[in-house]
Amino acid sequence: MTATADLKEFIAAFLLEAEEHLTVANTQLLAIETSQRGGETNPRAVRETFRSLHTIKGLSAMVGVEPIVAIAHRMETFLRDFDRSGGALPADAIDALLEGVRAIEQRVSALGRGDGAAAPSDELLAMLDSLGLAAARSVPAALPVLDLDPAMLKKLAPFEVDQIFRGIAAGARALCVEFSPSPARANAGLSINSVRERLSTVAEIVRVLPRAVPVNPQAPGGLSFVLIVLTRASDQALLTRVGLDSSALRSIQPELPGLVTPVEASVLPEPDIGLAPDEELFDGQTRRGVVRVDVSRLDDAMEGLSSLIVTRFRLARAVAALAERGVNTREIAEIMADNARQLRDLRAAIVRVRMVPVSELLERVPLLVRGLQRATNRSVRLELEGGSAELDKSVSERLFPVIVHLVRNAVDHAIESPDERVRRGKSEEGLVRITCSARSNTRLELTVTDDGRGIDRAAVARKAGRPSPDDNPGLLDLLCIPGLSTREIATTTSGRGMGMEIVKRTVVDELGGELELHSELGKGTTFTLRVPLTISIVDAFSFECAEQRFVVPVGMVDEIVEVDASRLVQIPANDDGSPPVDILSRRGVAVPMIQLAHVFHMKTEKRANSKAIIVRRAGLPVAFAVDRMLGQQEVVIRPVNDALVRAPGVAGATDLGDGRPTLVLDLVALSASLTGSSKLLGVPR
Amino acid sequence: MTLHVVFSLAGTEYALPVDTVLQMETFSGATHVPGVPAYVAGIVTVRGLVVPVIDLRARFGLPPADMTLDTRIVVTESGSRVVALRVDSAREVLQLDLEKHQPAPAVVSERSSGFVRAVHALGPRLLLLVDLQKILGENSHDHEPLARLDDDGSKRRPALPG
Repeated sequence: MTATADLKEFIAAFLLEAEEHLTVANTQLLAIETSQRGGETNPRAVRETFRSLHTIKGLSAMVGVEPIVAIAHRMETFLRDFDRSGGALPADAIDALLEGVRAIEQRVSALGRGDGAAAPSDELLAMLDSLGLAAARSVPAALPVLDLDPAMLKKLAPFEVDQIFRGIAAGARALCVEFSPSPARANAGLSINSVRERLSTVAEIVRVLPRAVPVNPQAPGGLSFVLIVLTRASDQALLTRVGLDSSALRSIQPELPGLVTPVEASVLPEPDIGLAPDEELFDGQTRRGVVRVDVSRLDDAMEGLSSLIVTRFRLARAVAALAERGVNTREIAEIMADNARQLRDLRAAIVRVRMVPVSELLERVPLLVRGLQRATNRSVRLELEGGSAELDKSVSERLFPVIVHLVRNAVDHAIESPDERVRRGKSEEGLVRITCSARSNTRLELTVTDDGRGIDRAAVARKAGRPSPDDNPGLLDLLCIPGLSTREIATTTSGRGMGMEIVKRTVVDELGGELELHSELGKGTTFTLRVPLTISIVDAFSFECAEQRFVVPVGMVDEIVEVDASRLVQIPANDDGSPPVDILSRRGVAVPMIQLAHVFHMKTEKRANSKAIIVRRAGLPVAFAVDRMLGQQEVVIRPVNDALVRAPGVAGATDLGDGRPTLVLDLVALSASLTGSSKLLGVPR
Repeated sequence: MTLHVVFSLAGTEYALPVDTVLQMETFSGATHVPGVPAYVAGIVTVRGLVVPVIDLRARFGLPPADMTLDTRIVVTESGSRVVALRVDSAREVLQLDLEKHQPAPAVVSERSSGFVRAVHALGPRLLLLVDLQKILGENSHDHEPLARLDDDGSKRRPALPG
């Protein structure tokens, strides 16, 4: 494996783990808030939050994401100090911490997209620093003083001082390196940037402080930089690396013998909540016997299983052919039956691995509701009933934006302001309730209910310019009209979200589920979603043939080639009705090419036939001529089960976004179904 | 009294009990599926399900008609099957007294290949009650499913030789 691949894997693992810890941090911060609202402190949640942030910091440092380290470090520091002093977290501290988590989240997702993590804004850092100061003041512990000019010491933030002490406790030495820029040094390739860069390879730079000095031959500009660093390298090694002489170097370590070894680090006010750093980094991975796996690996396993199934069908066909010739196949048939059962079990096992608890889908909702309450000045109580249902990761991912939209609508549009609620005889606090339950082995029912004002049918109808619907299904249809603008009632928080038509599109068209609405004016609204627990998604090419669109799974396609009509060799057609076959030359190999339009008896006036899709059946390539390729995308495959429409080569249907089914073709099976009538296999290779 | 959905085809009115009808929808075309019987117009998506559409004119041997604004599909349910019927129009739901159903005269039954199972006189109107099972056909020509992409592997037992 190359170094790049290693790094990629590493980053992927980092993203997974960071997301998990961010979720914990959010959940725990909200738990703190909830406890405190009830007049209690929640030290356990404080520690959990601390641990998550500590781990995030450690992970980020490992992959070198400084912006996240900077944010997480401040938050961690504050939480540790706070835990030591005890008491309740001020409300603005919770806000600031949530803000910090959000800032980390943004950077983690930027990394996930392959973008860099932006440096944190000064306001954010200042806000988090001020938390740190507040907590530091409340800490009675007397810290040993660094051997540093007091003027400079004052410039160090508390967390930086802390970082130095922790470094010392972990066995590093604290030094200050002074560098004064001069033309002579610049000529020798020494600038503050190069010094910094070189230094960072052998030391951890805590802070770079510029300071004015009297003009002298050493510092002709009257300026010098003091770099405060932690290092495990020897003085000599460090100086050689950077290219400075020993006069530039000075220890700032307090003369306390107990501080040099980590064993005696208890002299420091070491928190009792942290494990040793290394232990903690791996804690999350080993604790519960759980393996985190990238979904794409599961897809690979599923893909492998799919080809096994295809092979099995080929085998079944071959056995059937033998049986037709009078061969006794009873024993083979028994083995085949075992094999079929094993394949089903294996398939079920892989499907199970992809399942995630529905509670995972809902765990971010409290944070969403909290933010919405603030933005809209509503007071909302959230009730979640997750249950123990599990659903496929890909369904869960598609469902999440839908829930966000429905919850956003509920808080923003449906729940009245506290005053209005009191006037209407309702409790001041609105209620948003989400329930999830598995309706059967295959479907999940999810409801989002609010006790708000209900949807005004007449108002919606006016907006849509349609007659007022007389029941809930009619109202839902109206709400789902693409582009329906209910601007009058939309606000900044909901107005920018996706509309109900996207909710319907996702639930009904993409997932093959159902969407229901029950709304009573003045009483509230319930949306009920029923979705399948699993869906089958494949990466597919879409193409056009005889003016009809089709898709074919990418995994089935060997190659897509341009068809050069002048280089085709036509095979004389026999008159048994089988489709005519051309010969396409591909890298010196003759490939039989069939017009897909012929196979499907599709009439078309113009035939472009610019492309051929090559698949392999039993190792032999077969090309299907089509008009043009349209693109490549992930599609959700729906079974086409009814006997009326089961046809060779049709594996299912999908929705490419036009609300109409598009056929998913199994070209391998299609070519197999043709070999009986045509002479495909007789074509020389 | 039982509720019935009334639809029309080439000027004749037909009825189906409401409990066999899931919904009625406007029709804007189906996706053609190659290699299926000529009376199958294709597939459409209804409530997330992929549903075959039977062109009832073709099924009844009537001349084809262009699509109009009145063209509807009547989505029916029979056992585990959901199948849509394309009709010229469908806009009425009527209470019909089952007692007043009369068995289809032999000539009607013969001429309609058994698709009409009873007739019902309602004032000046004559409604033909259709036999849904017959229209949908038996789920018999069960050929080997293409399991590669079929998600519901658990239910499928590939036909084995022998």
